Amino acid sequence: MTVRVDAAVTAMTGPAAPPRRNGELVFDAPWQGRAFGMAVGVVARLGLEWNAFQQRLIAEIAAHSDAPYYSCWVVALERLVLDYGAVTAEEMEAKRETVRMEAG
Amino acid sequence: MSEHDDDHHHPAPLSPVEVRARALEELLKEKGLIQEGFIDAVVSAYENDIGPMNGARVVARAWVDPAYKARLLANGTAAIAELGLGGPEGEHLVVVENTPTVHNAVVCTLCSCYPWPVLGLPPNWYKSPPYRARMVREPRVLLREMGLDLPESVEIRVWDSSAAVRYMVLPERPAGTEGKSEEELAALVTRDAMIGTARL
Repeated sequence: MTVRVDAAVTAMTGPAAPPRRNGELVFDAPWQGRAFGMAVGVVARLGLEWNAFQQRLIAEIAAHSDAPYYSCWVVALERLVLDYGAVTAEEMEAKRETVRMEAG
Repeated sequence: MSEHDDDHHHPAPLSPVEVRARALEELLKEKGLIQEGFIDAVVSAYENDIGPMNGARVVARAWVDPAYKARLLANGTAAIAELGLGGPEGEHLVVVENTPTVHNAVVCTLCSCYPWPVLGLPPNWYKSPPYRARMVREPRVLLREMGLDLPESVEIRVWDSSAAVRYMVLPERPAGTEGKSEEELAALVTRDAMIGTARL
C-alpha cells in the first residue's frame, strides 16, 4: 500500500511539532508511530484539513504542558473523532475496558 | 502486521495511554475509518519512501531545467522550497554537483546530520562510526568497498554535514536518457547516489 501524506503533517512547528532527533521523527515506542499513522488516516478519511487535528493537538499540549507529546496526540485524536461524531464516548469507554481485560 | 510488537516476551502491562491508543485504533478499524495496513504504510513511508522520492524529484528537475539547476546549486534551500519541500528546522541545504572529473560524497563526522526533507531517514550505515571516520580519512577506499570504484583521475570531495548545513549530491544524468520524461528520470535516482556512495 502506498500512501500520500499531506505536507502539512510534517510542517507543523512550535509546540505542535512532533519530536525529532536530528531531523527525524522520533517514535520512542511502537504505539507512538501507530498513533501518528492513525491521525494521518482519520483526518484524510473524514475529509478534514490537517489543521482540524492540529488545533486540538495544540490545545491539548497547552492544557497539559507536562504531558508527553504522544499522549497529547492520542487525546487530541480522541477529541477529534468525538467532535465529528465518528465515535461515541460510550463506545470509547467500552473498548478501553475490553482492551484492559485482554491485556490482563 | 503485528498488533503486539511492543513486547516480544511477556506482554507488559499496558500504560493508560497505550490502552487508549489501542482502543481508539480498534474502534477506528471497526468503523472503517482506518484501513487494514494503512498505519504500517504511513510509518514505512516515513522510513523509506517519502524522503528519497523528494530528492529524486529535485534531481530530475535539475536535469531537465538548466535554470532550475542553476538556482539549486546557488541556493538549495530556496530551490527545494519551489517544489514544496523543506522542513521546519531551517537548516541550509547545499547541493553539490558531480561532473566527469569530480565526485562528491556526504558524511556527518560528528553525528548523523542528514538532509531529511529530501532524503528521508538515513540508512543505518550512514550513522555508523566506521563510515563517519573513513569517509574523511580514506574516501576512495571506502567507496570502493561500498561498490563504487572511481578512477584515480576523478577527484573526490567529501562534505561534512552539520546541524546548520546539510549537503545533497546532484548526480550526473545517466547517458542514454535523453528521451525520458522528468518522472521517468526521477525513478532512476537512488538515495545512495544523492549521498554520493553510488553513481547512476
